Amino acid sequence: MIRYPSLLIIFVILFVAISLYQIKHFITKKEIELAQIKKNIDVAQSDLNILNAELTYLKRPDRIEKIAINKLGLREVLPTDIWDLKDLVNATDSLSNGEKK
Amino acid sequence: MKVFSFVNFHFKKNNDTKSRKIKLLFCGFLLIISFTMIGYRTISLASAKKVNLSKIAHKDFNSKTLEKTIRGNIFDRNNKILATTIDTSSLSINPQEILNKNETINKLIKIFPELNEEVLLKKLNNNKKHINLLREISPREYVKILNMGIEGLIIQTRQKRIYPNNNLASHILGGTDIDGNGIAGVEKNFEAQLQKGNHVTLSIHSGIQHITRKLLLNQIKKFEAEGGAGIIMNAKNGQVYASVSLPDYNANNYDLKLDKKLFNKATKGIYELGSTLKLITAAIAFESNLINENELFDVSKPLKVSSRIISDFHPLSFSINIPEVIVHSSNIGSAKMAEKFGSSIQLKYLKSLGLMDMLPLEIPELGRPQILTDKKVLTTMAISYGHSISITPMHLASATATIVNNGIKIDPTLITDKTKVQKRHVISKETSKKMKSIMRLVVSNQHGTAKKAEVPGYIVGGKTGTAEKIKPSGGYFKKQNIVAFTGAFPMNDPQFIITLMIDNPKGQQFSYGYRTAGWVVAPLVKKLVTRIAPILNIKPQSERSIEFSNNLLNYKIRGKNKGANL
Repeated sequence: MIRYPSLLIIFVILFVAISLYQIKHFITKKEIELAQIKKNIDVAQSDLNILNAELTYLKRPDRIEKIAINKLGLREVLPTDIWDLKDLVNATDSLSNGEKK
Repeated sequence: MKVFSFVNFHFKKNNDTKSRKIKLLFCGFLLIISFTMIGYRTISLASAKKVNLSKIAHKDFNSKTLEKTIRGNIFDRNNKILATTIDTSSLSINPQEILNKNETINKLIKIFPELNEEVLLKKLNNNKKHINLLREISPREYVKILNMGIEGLIIQTRQKRIYPNNNLASHILGGTDIDGNGIAGVEKNFEAQLQKGNHVTLSIHSGIQHITRKLLLNQIKKFEAEGGAGIIMNAKNGQVYASVSLPDYNANNYDLKLDKKLFNKATKGIYELGSTLKLITAAIAFESNLINENELFDVSKPLKVSSRIISDFHPLSFSINIPEVIVHSSNIGSAKMAEKFGSSIQLKYLKSLGLMDMLPLEIPELGRPQILTDKKVLTTMAISYGHSISITPMHLASATATIVNNGIKIDPTLITDKTKVQKRHVISKETSKKMKSIMRLVVSNQHGTAKKAEVPGYIVGGKTGTAEKIKPSGGYFKKQNIVAFTGAFPMNDPQFIITLMIDNPKGQQFSYGYRTAGWVVAPLVKKLVTRIAPILNIKPQSERSIEFSNNLLNYKIRGKNKGANL
């Protein structure tokens, strides 16, 4: 005669044991993955630091200045190059008024 | 044993006890074995094995980063990197593991042409197990090595502090030792913060720093000077946008052997900055209420005090008031003003302007002012025109900021988040307004000593100073000068302070042999303001505007022929 409670107990025990095994296995796998991701982040961060440093080196003011002068033909901004928009409007108004007269 | 009773059902009809017992035992044994195995596996995965696996997984990761936190970066005010830490690889070799030495040498020379074949052969014939080949290899070279598959090579990763802008702000940034510990400048001052991996943002503006350095360097070369210092500071909150000391050095090659180049002339070097100190004398005169701006001082004859004769570079034959004393830079007038307000008042104001103490700046390289405090009349007079008082250019910039900032004390700072500005009035708003008006005249008036600093639209004001250089053994070099300028712009509402100093310029043909501040530093101020004002968002303005006339006073300045000029 089959004793159902006993059978149930053994099944539960087996199920719990297998589940526990699976969970632990899963967690360990995930921990390895996490460590790998962390390692990848670290490597990426290190590469990023190098790239940022290289970019800063390329963007250093003395280099940009040389490029601006020699390659682009730029020059320093003189006070006469800077106009307030209001002054320009006033100048245009007075000019157009003068033409009308 | 009830638990195991379910196994009896096959044997219910059979009453053979022995057989039942054996079968029962067998099943029990199987169960125990199964549970033991599951238990062991579970425990091993949960504890012991887990640690081992994690260790394996973390091995590379740990060795690279977790041993030590990466040192924090130093940024300028626009978040541009001034100092950062990167991983670099070094190359070593184990000669014992190399089978074909000639092939290895050929492969290595292909990647690193700078390596010497003979030296390499000598190293590879060595009996040692570890020989350093190259301290640093680039990521590209690293990949090439991996692709070539050379046996016996050891590549190790280490951290390196780098300064991508080379010489830019090297005196401010300082340096680190081989272990990555800060040994000078901001690196030393913020050591704890940087070591924890926290970043530091400075008030320095890379662009302004570069322009100041470049123009100052050009002027130093032009006048064959020994060096110089330049400071650009926010007049409202004391944030230093540029602090240059020349000669300088490449921050990537910080070495104590550099000696003189390591010396920060802007914050540590103390100098007699000559007539620039007359600004302070005039401010004290106004503030003391003992002298008003219309009071006249006879400067027609040299002044004899004790054994010393005080004379003027540009002698005048009539009596002059305070604005004229400053515009003409009269030593006699300045000495007479100081005589009137006396030593105690002078020292009190020098103290409150911060000219008698070290500055609260965020670097260790700071100079302590040296001032003669014997309270003798001659000393008081000498201090009034910038002798017997040695301060750093940064002290002068700080005092100038206080004078033009409505008299509110300004302490220089190298960091942006120091927002706490003291609201301590050192001089009154009225005195500040008078001083700003006079400083403007020094540049704008035809008799002013800083005429060459005039930039139309930017309303520059300030004061020049030319002083004989102090001999290390005492006394003065008669033919060696320290020339300086301190000022602000735009003078109707000063936003930025400019303080420049050049050490021992030589007279040139184009300067008619002159090596005074008016010839050496004033033109530099003009170039500098023209370049930096647009970057600093200072708009050119007309002096005819109402805003301008409301903020500055209009003093009459007489020239040699007594003709009044506006």
